[in-house]
Amino acid sequence: MNLRITFSPTFFTAAFAIVALALTGCGKSDSGAANSSTSSSTSAAPDQVKTIGVAFETLQTEFWVAAFDKLKADCAAKGITMLEGVADGDASKQFDQVRNFINRKVDGIIIVPKDGKTVIPMIKAANAANIPVVLYNRPADPTDAKHTAVAPDNFAITKETVTYLVSLAKKTGKKQKAMILLGDLGDVNAIGRRDGFEAAIKDAGEAVEVVARIPTDWNQEKALAGVQSAMQANPDIGLIFTSSDFMFPSIKSVLSNLGKWKKHNEPGHIILGGFDGDATAYQLMAEGYVDATGVQDVYWEAEQAIQVIIAAKDGQISPTRIDDQGFAITQANLKEMESRMWGAVVATKKK
Amino acid sequence: MSNLVGSDLFVLFLCGITFAAFAPFTPIFVTPANLANILIGCLPLLLLATGQTLVLITGGIDLSVTAIIGLSSVVGALVMGGDQGWLQGSPIAMPVAMASMLATGALVGLFNGACIAWLRMPAFMVTLTTTMFFSGLSVWLAKKVVNSESIYNLPPAFLAFGTHAWLALLMAVIATLLAHLLLARTLLGRWLYAVGHNPRTSLISGVPVGGVTVGAYVFSGVFAALASILLTAQLETGSPNHGKTLLLDVIGAAVIGGTSLFGGKGKVLWTVYGVLFLSLLGNGLNLLNVSDFLITIVKGAVILVAALLDVWRTKFVRGP
Repeated sequence: MNLRITFSPTFFTAAFAIVALALTGCGKSDSGAANSSTSSSTSAAPDQVKTIGVAFETLQTEFWVAAFDKLKADCAAKGITMLEGVADGDASKQFDQVRNFINRKVDGIIIVPKDGKTVIPMIKAANAANIPVVLYNRPADPTDAKHTAVAPDNFAITKETVTYLVSLAKKTGKKQKAMILLGDLGDVNAIGRRDGFEAAIKDAGEAVEVVARIPTDWNQEKALAGVQSAMQANPDIGLIFTSSDFMFPSIKSVLSNLGKWKKHNEPGHIILGGFDGDATAYQLMAEGYVDATGVQDVYWEAEQAIQVIIAAKDGQISPTRIDDQGFAITQANLKEMESRMWGAVVATKKK
Repeated sequence: MSNLVGSDLFVLFLCGITFAAFAPFTPIFVTPANLANILIGCLPLLLLATGQTLVLITGGIDLSVTAIIGLSSVVGALVMGGDQGWLQGSPIAMPVAMASMLATGALVGLFNGACIAWLRMPAFMVTLTTTMFFSGLSVWLAKKVVNSESIYNLPPAFLAFGTHAWLALLMAVIATLLAHLLLARTLLGRWLYAVGHNPRTSLISGVPVGGVTVGAYVFSGVFAALASILLTAQLETGSPNHGKTLLLDVIGAAVIGGTSLFGGKGKVLWTVYGVLFLSLLGNGLNLLNVSDFLITIVKGAVILVAALLDVWRTKFVRGP
């Protein structure tokens, strides 16, 4: 088919300019209409939050998926429209998403940042537009930019968990060699968990010696390679702590190949602990392979995040930090505490 | 129809269609604030795609641009910022840091170009392996010096490239204009096309094929470093992770604009249209609440169609 049209550059440039200008003009009036409609409904219900932008760094793990789903469900239940953004670990992409939210004049923005530093300009941009910002589960580095972080007390929860693991190590009657899988140390959560681990180990005195600190950058393949190397170098490692439960499959893979994947009541069992309280950890605890994990309350954190934005709409100022106290779930208290473990709830739903 | 597809302004026409298609469904799309948002957001992509265009015209490809962004960002931040910046607090910190970032891009480009032109290694293999090498190097460097992947406390004068949109716009426009003039008005520009059309004939005709190829990769490296300046300033942080999801968009924008993956064909202006189209598409879909995963699928499909169109034009219209 030949349209027999001469598409000269001048024709196209002129056509595009006319269309763009005309639509920009229409857009302005539409936008004005939208604004006036917003302000009229605002006067009817001044404290109502209509739209929240949610920008997640990733949806790679069960934890983030559970958090995302909970925010979505809570927004829907409150009649709030949730705008979504997932940055795939790219802070510049996340900044674009936050700018989009600001353009759309959302009532609040919930961010799971890539790290505590790159999020600061995003908070400042939202501050400039007078939009409240909540950092979900991952706080910012010290800054004057106004925000609220709803995050776990990583240090305390990890220390409690590792102290339990150390108590198991002491029961073996011999000095145990330990390994920790570190997270991305640009992430304050990873730092808090590392520090909680080190504090518990220090308190253990001579009972435990850390022989491997594996940097994973929150990456399962790196975790797999790191655990493989560490187990080659130190085949007698007797205690492993992972800074996130999503790396248990990597540990399981290596230990299974070495014939060391044993339940807690079997001889040759390696003491295992983690952090998050996800469905995989729950399953492995129920089966007896994992001894303990630090549980952060993903659902409570989501509720708090939305509540902060609703409160901001009402003119209330929330604190810069809201701590999720969390708890350590262990083989000793599993039956008693599993109803408070979000991973157990997810695992039950899957069944 | 072939008139339409073959037109220089076909992609600009598509931009108009995209604009008109989104406007009725999402009024925010056409607001000045959103258009400014699109404009500022697309500047790093514009710089990267412009550099890539020159490489594609020579018949090569530069997959290392995202690694160059990360390495330049870390080098620049280590010079001027952080608690342990080598020139922290010095008045020359910012210019030296920016020069270091550009030099880093140029050196990586030089290495890529030398391996491709003089060691006759395939471009995709060289730039893929240098991506791995320089990505790892940037992480190692940051962790070695500041024990973190993020370097903060950059000088306010440098951060102005992120906070003052006009400054970023000015830099990107000048760089893109220079690239356009280089391609359209200089002997080097004609040599780039000649090398892309047929390197053997170009060599016989006296074109310094090796030098031209190396020049294209150096150019791409410098433009990646310019993009790194913008991203580092916008995020107020030096990091090896900046821009790591941009590679497909970079090649996609150039190819959508009409630059051929087979070399010898392309214009900076076309790439500008390609960048505009991808940015409008991404922004419009985002405003329609389409999930990021679907946006990625749509972008991938559009780039695939553009690549198929390139194959069709090259193999069937131009002939073997």
